[in-house]
Order: sequence, then structure tokens, then C-alpha cells
Amino acid sequence: MKSFEYCVALFDSVSSTLLAEKLLKKAEILHKVIPVPRHISSDCGVCIRFSPDLRGRVEQALTGRVEYREICAL
Amino acid sequence: MRKEVDARGRACPEPVMLTKKALEEADEITVIVDNSTAGENVRRFAASRKCMVRVEHRDGVSRLFITKPLHGGETTGSPDQTVMGAPHQAASGPMVLVIASDRMGRGNDELGAVLMRSFIHTLGEADQRPDTMLFFNTGVKLTVQGSEVLDDLLALCNRGVRMLVCGTCLDYLDLKDRLAVGQVSNMYDITETMLGAGKVIRI
Repeated sequence: MKSFEYCVALFDSVSSTLLAEKLLKKAEILHKVIPVPRHISSDCGVCIRFSPDLRGRVEQALTGRVEYREICAL
Repeated sequence: MRKEVDARGRACPEPVMLTKKALEEADEITVIVDNSTAGENVRRFAASRKCMVRVEHRDGVSRLFITKPLHGGETTGSPDQTVMGAPHQAASGPMVLVIASDRMGRGNDELGAVLMRSFIHTLGEADQRPDTMLFFNTGVKLTVQGSEVLDDLLALCNRGVRMLVCGTCLDYLDLKDRLAVGQVSNMYDITETMLGAGKVIRI
């Protein structure tokens, strides 16, 4: 199985991304806000990058609190 | 004849101004300063003039022994032109990136902060890199402990990007003790860097 370097959580708006960032900070989950990688989307968006092993915790922190489009492994 | 400049107790940028003046009058000078920022600024100024510099620290005081180069070193006309960088080099000079705010663009602050983080991150991953980054006004906030972009800036710094951070700004914002990347700089360095640049990009 291919191991992925990062996961990114994608959102439908910048404000959702920022809200998600606040939630992750509160939950003390290490992450970074980065531009959406070009090969995922060509529009000028931001997303949240985190380590794949944190995926479960990220999903738990975000689900029901902010809508996210998807989480991609890169 | 050796000339002595006592710049103790002088606020930035006075030690550099006094050094510049003394170097116009003598070939060998000794500059005495009582803080590390002033010492570093004087050392860099002298080095930019191709002078030899030897530093001695004792009892919280630094003595900088500065000797002018034998052949004058000031190859581009009047001394003032040298200080401000050589204009004829501009077309092929270094790339300078100016960060004048902790936000990218004007308008919405929250959005501006996100854009700045995005920008610095992308900069770290880009193939092309600026030679020097200048931080002033609230831009200095990016360079201190707790900054969201500190890791990216440290990575850029490790890859050879020179970072000059405005000391007046750090002081005004009460961040001087928290600087975490780059070196405290002054308006002389900032002006010189801009005028000596081949390209200046202002964010």
C-alpha cells in the first residue's frame, strides 16, 4: 500500500477553513493552513494540511461543527 | 591615524552614522558600543565597505577595530553612492522581497492574514527564491516566536535567504526579545538593500 505524506482537508469556503483551523487549534491537533495544491484545484483556495496519522482526530474534531468537502491523501 | 568613536548609549542608527563619518576622516577607527545590535550593525556596515573588522568584547562593551581596504574599496564614485548601493548594478542585482505588513493586500485583515501564510508557505516551496527579505512595520510580527509562518521562514533562511528585520519596528511593537528568525536591521541596510536590488517585490 502506498503511504501518503500528507492529508489535506478541503472546504467550500475560506471562512469554513478558518473555522476548522480554530477547531483544530482548540483540539491541539498539529496542522497547517496552505494553498490548495494546484493538482487538486486551480482556484485560489486554502486548505488544511496534516499528517495522515492524525486523520481520525481531525475528522472527529470537524464533524458536525464545520462542513468539509473532503479529505484527500497526498 | 586611528580615530576613536564612542557610541555607547547611542540609539540606532547613530552608531552606524558615527562610524560612516569617522571612516570618511580616518583609515583606521575604533568604535565602542554597548549593545549587540549596534555592534552587529556597525560590523555589517564596515564589511559592506570592504573594511577589515576585528571585534573585542569585554565587560558588556564591544570594541570594533575597523581598517579601510588598501585600495580605497569605494569603487563607485562618492562615498554616499557606495552606501546606497551601486545604481548601475540594479538591472542584474539581487531579488528583494519586501514584507511591509503581516497581511497580504489591503481590505480584510482576517483574509489578509490567511493570504500571507499561504504566500510564505508557497514561497518556501517555490524553485525561485528571493535573495533578501525585508520585514518592516507589522511585517516584523511574522519573524517572532509564535508566528504562524516561522517554520517556513526558518526553512527559507536555512536555504540561504537573507532576512533583515526592522529594529525600530520590533522595538515599537515591543517584540525585540522575541525575534526568532533573521537579523535586526536598520534603515541604512533596508535602504541600501532596496536601492542595490535588481528587482524589488513588495507584498
